[in-house]
Amino acid sequence: MTTTRPDRILGPGHDEFWNWCARGELRLQCCDDCAELAWPVVQSCEHCGSNSFQWQAMTGKGTLVSWCRFDHDYYKGLLDMPYWTILVELDEGPLFVSNPLSIPEEELALGLAVSLAFQDCEDAGGAFKLPVFKKT
Amino acid sequence: MSYSAGASLPPPSRDLSRSCAVVGLGETDYRQDYQAAREAARNRDPDYRPCTPEGLALKAFERALDDSGLQRKDIDGLSVSFLYGGPDARSTANLLGVQPRQFVDSIGIMAGPLPAACAAIAQGKCDTVALVYAVATRAQGRKFGGALHRENAAPASYYYYHPWGWSSQAAHWAFAWQHYMATYGVTEEDLASVAIQMRRNAMATDHAIMHKPLTMEDYLASRYVVRPLHLYDLCLVNDGGVCLILRRADMSSGLPHSPVLLGGWGEAVVGCNKMDTLVRHRLRPQFQEAGRQALDMAGLTLSDVQHFECYDASTNHLVNHLEGHGFTAPGEGLEFCKSGEMAVGGSLPVNTAGGMLSGSYMHGWNHVAEITRQLRHEAGPRQIEGVEVSMFSLAQTDRVHPLIFMRGNSP
Ligand SMILES: [Zn+2]
Repeated sequence: MTTTRPDRILGPGHDEFWNWCARGELRLQCCDDCAELAWPVVQSCEHCGSNSFQWQAMTGKGTLVSWCRFDHDYYKGLLDMPYWTILVELDEGPLFVSNPLSIPEEELALGLAVSLAFQDCEDAGGAFKLPVFKKT
Repeated sequence: MSYSAGASLPPPSRDLSRSCAVVGLGETDYRQDYQAAREAARNRDPDYRPCTPEGLALKAFERALDDSGLQRKDIDGLSVSFLYGGPDARSTANLLGVQPRQFVDSIGIMAGPLPAACAAIAQGKCDTVALVYAVATRAQGRKFGGALHRENAAPASYYYYHPWGWSSQAAHWAFAWQHYMATYGVTEEDLASVAIQMRRNAMATDHAIMHKPLTMEDYLASRYVVRPLHLYDLCLVNDGGVCLILRRADMSSGLPHSPVLLGGWGEAVVGCNKMDTLVRHRLRPQFQEAGRQALDMAGLTLSDVQHFECYDASTNHLVNHLEGHGFTAPGEGLEFCKSGEMAVGGSLPVNTAGGMLSGSYMHGWNHVAEITRQLRHEAGPRQIEGVEVSMFSLAQTDRVHPLIFMRGNSP
């Protein structure tokens, strides 16, 4: 089922991220000069200022750092209310804001092991695959 | 961790400590304006005139000038902070009827404008700066999350997460609070103590917006905004203006009120790993660094601070300030509040006018206004007895900038 989502930020760098998602891969920018991973997409490295990156594949494994439920409808009817968001620490290090896929509310807990999945979505930029996380 | 990126304050310097004093204070009628707006909305009153940034700024300025005992001709510097739009500095000078020889650039949100004005005074560019701030946040219907409006820009930090529906400042505090609860085994009831204490403080403050008692039952029954944060965990949205008159310290005696000396400031900015620094570290490295700078500049230590005002965008963020600066150990801030230590009469009274949670959302200007009253010993029923040193702490999601104030000689 395709769900409508608030618009992504698109453009140089951002497009590459979503293109990898469309192929079913979560890839983040890895700095050629200092090897730090960047997320969200950057134009230059926050650690060393370099603007040379490789798109490094993530394993898609991670653990839960935090979670919250949106009860206030910030997007004015676009999303089914209420809905949960999660903060996942990817095994490679970066923290990734996402949505839980079929994780019961009472199982949300610090350190819960989660794995990557993709959800079919669309916005003004067209159809896209959104990286979300299910229980491992 | 980098602290230098995006620094916006002049560097702290011991030479500048106590070189300037707040000698004038003016605030608008937060409570009356808030009630009038609600009343007008309820009655759909066609004659109601909403607050404007210009009107609020002028009222705050006139009150501050009157309070200071100075004349318009004494104002030779002007710093203008209309956070959500307003006239430029020159038009504001005309509006206020002053002819400054120096316009001081300002980043608007509190902490920044005072050090900038202090540096201008130290450089001999002016002697007496009127710092004017006004926001018609509520009148303009400003929203704090959701899709991007170009004319209504917000920090880019959360635009990126729109496809997942993650938006708003409240969402930052919600992630940090959920992580805190899971880490320290505390509950919503524990956090309610902060909202309830702020409400008690507001009830002892004439101009504070919220005077209705807040009980644990009220708190728990209130709606969630971003769960686990309730409505009462998040700061108010209201219109208002504040004016502070800052003057060379050696010209600040013989005026109607005790001068309130600016003792120190500091600043630390999160360079990278913003989400991790906010959610798991709750900005502690930045609080520590910026607090140390400010206290060093003032030649004081944390134990000298007798009154603490901090940017309470949310209840748990107030706790971040307390723990971050080291007033309590990490994980002990809520116990500190529950045992009454944050109340007037406790070991460290905090946000004695109700802060932004129950007092008035003036981007930290309200906190400095309360420090001015406390250090003048003019805070009425909530006066902290014999207070000589106050600390203000502002922290947004990625930067911390505290100020230290002390009571000057009596007039
Ligand atoms: Zn790098």
